[in-house]
Amino acid sequence: MQSSYPDIPAGLVAHDLTAAAVQLQVDPTIYPLQAIYGAAYIFIDRCYVFLERPEPGQVRVTLTAKGGSADAGALRALVGEFANELLGCAWRHQITQDNRVLLETVTMQAIAGAMGQPSLDDLASFDFSDQGFDDPLGIALSWEEKHGKKAPAASTGDGEAQP
Amino acid sequence: MSAVQPATSSSSASSPAPLDLVALRPQAGTQAFFRHRVVGDRVLVTNFEGGWLLLTRPEFAQFATGTVPAASALHDRLAAANFLRAHYDVRRAADALAARRRFLHAGPNLHIFVVTLRCNETCVYCHASRANMDQVQTDMTPEIAEKAVELALRSTSPFITIEFQGGEPLVNFPVVQHVCEYAGRRAQELGKQLQFTMVSNFALMDDAKLDFLIAHRVQLCTSIDGPEQLHNAQRKLPTMDAHQRAVHWIRRINRRYEDMGLDPTLYHVEALLTTTRETLPRWKEVVDTYVGLGCKALFLRPIDPFGFADRTRLRLEYPRGAYLEFYRNAVDYMLELNRQGVQVLERYAGIFLTKILRGEDPNFLDLRSPAGAGIGQLAYNYDGKIFSCDEGRMLHEMGDSKFQLGDVRTSSYRDLVGHETVRAMVLASNLDGQPDCVNCTYQPYCGTIPTFNYKNQGSIFGRMRESSVCQVHKGIQDYLFEKLAAADPAVLAAFDRWTTHRAREHFVQTPGQAASQAALEP
Amino acid sequence: MTAADPSAPAASDAPAFLDLRFHRELYAGAAVDEAIKVFARHGEFHLSEAADAWCVHMRALRPALTRRLAHELANYALGLTVQRGGPP
Repeated sequence: MQSSYPDIPAGLVAHDLTAAAVQLQVDPTIYPLQAIYGAAYIFIDRCYVFLERPEPGQVRVTLTAKGGSADAGALRALVGEFANELLGCAWRHQITQDNRVLLETVTMQAIAGAMGQPSLDDLASFDFSDQGFDDPLGIALSWEEKHGKKAPAASTGDGEAQP
Repeated sequence: MSAVQPATSSSSASSPAPLDLVALRPQAGTQAFFRHRVVGDRVLVTNFEGGWLLLTRPEFAQFATGTVPAASALHDRLAAANFLRAHYDVRRAADALAARRRFLHAGPNLHIFVVTLRCNETCVYCHASRANMDQVQTDMTPEIAEKAVELALRSTSPFITIEFQGGEPLVNFPVVQHVCEYAGRRAQELGKQLQFTMVSNFALMDDAKLDFLIAHRVQLCTSIDGPEQLHNAQRKLPTMDAHQRAVHWIRRINRRYEDMGLDPTLYHVEALLTTTRETLPRWKEVVDTYVGLGCKALFLRPIDPFGFADRTRLRLEYPRGAYLEFYRNAVDYMLELNRQGVQVLERYAGIFLTKILRGEDPNFLDLRSPAGAGIGQLAYNYDGKIFSCDEGRMLHEMGDSKFQLGDVRTSSYRDLVGHETVRAMVLASNLDGQPDCVNCTYQPYCGTIPTFNYKNQGSIFGRMRESSVCQVHKGIQDYLFEKLAAADPAVLAAFDRWTTHRAREHFVQTPGQAASQAALEP
Repeated sequence: MTAADPSAPAASDAPAFLDLRFHRELYAGAAVDEAIKVFARHGEFHLSEAADAWCVHMRALRPALTRRLAHELANYALGLTVQRGGPP
């Protein structure tokens, strides 16, 4: 990286026109890592994004324009846009923590209201085996499974997950 | 990225002087939770549940500093509107919030059936990625249509609207007929209330089609871009008479409703406007055209970034400040017409005002929190693919299938509405989790559109300060609250009419009532 | 020639091998593994571990594409890391 920007405090941003890349130093105490991820992810369709730790407590984000070329103005715009997205993601991270209960309640109500109660067919087709959980006390085991006796024959309802 | 410039002010009207909060030295303690915004010469405050007051600057200063005299009219106003901590009525706030979110208790009520991509018109801003008339492979088959109907009727909403779109839905009229008959029968069997709507350019309408649509109580809606020259320049038929044909059928259909004894103020063809750059200076002609056609409502929608509009945006797009100036001029004119006894309303205003003045949510899916994508609407493409919303389907036609939820052949209803994309969109469009919106005075009345955010800004969350949709929403609400502050009795009376909901019972098919039989009864 | 990130200036000839260091606190190891599997047929990859990073010593089958392959790999690893919610 060769040059910095006159309108940004020294040491925070550098750009390299030849490589069509900019680097931003990000303080994770201001922008949590989840916010850095959120902002970085938005850019991976039009930039190559690389994260580094130049030193403990710092994150360096390198954005390289896909296509291999970008003028100074475009790189400066990239810095500004990334910074705005980073700010939005950091703030959203905080808001989500503050309003977690409200957000979860509304989301659950929205999805539950739309889904409604499962039908017997829905329950019959639900694959409980995916739910993998620890069962050190064998609570989920039937008496027969625990003590080695055969379980009574049970009806199998293999309904499809169709309305 | 959008060509629209982010605005520093919400409209071209001069920006009000900001509050000097440092000089004001607010003191917390007496106020319940509130947000504030300068609107004209007043300060608007809204509370958590969407109550509002317009205060003068001195009044706001007293409120913000906790120095409102106890035995004052201001104190009484604040207490009555639930803005004071000592008098805060939690139950009332909870009930008000529940009323605004009542739509959460039911699933998708709007089901968009894209019965074909073929279209006989070429519109410069087409967002549907229309196909040429020989592309018959873009027609929905009856088999796919039936599966889509079955999924739609599985919704937990007791009231289902099936909206026919395209392309031009009249191009695939046999499937429209099949859906009307099949869905009508199945809704009766399942005990669902059902209605149909169709968005059509009317150019392929004839008497036989109209007879069927009338008999099956399909609400008809078309597009009118304003005066004939503008409309025909933007919506091209080979015969260059798109406007004339649309107008012809608007008048024929309205006459049919009258002949059936239906109230013409309630039953008439609705028309939709798409505002392009050419439209902006012609606000008076647009309103006059709609009024002349007997329309009672205009929906002054800005252009969207989907479909062809993405390709032609350099020619069609405009700064949203210019749109808001157009909006103000047009609605001022409409209010003047109302004053003269002409009944016409602006749809955006009606939606916002219903939330502001009546504390209800009219369930316009793009203007609610969370948005309706996936939980309020589903879009069924001609080929059986199912999307969270029509914009999600448009993105698919543009090459991006992120918002596809499933397929009519393989997906269950619960798979669709419980899809992780739907959950993501619900979270992303909940304004209680959105930077900027969380502090915005208009948050109780507003909404964000995840697909717009994604298309214009790269994520379903978006950044509201740079969002043209946010700019429009803020600008319209600023205008409405300026009007409310001015308190002109004629304007308030018009706003009362604009928020009075009159149900169009004739179009609703209720269980136990056959569609075509009921259509003969006024 | 080695470079900590793919954007480092290129030598006059395309590098034979290029080194990438994915910091353990920023990238999930499983994400890096998965990314390498996805791009395996386009290049030669050698993985190793440092105390603080997952190290990839790599070149493309077509040497002129090495830098681009490194970019794509890094993007893919980042995307997978984000989808996992970060390193464990």
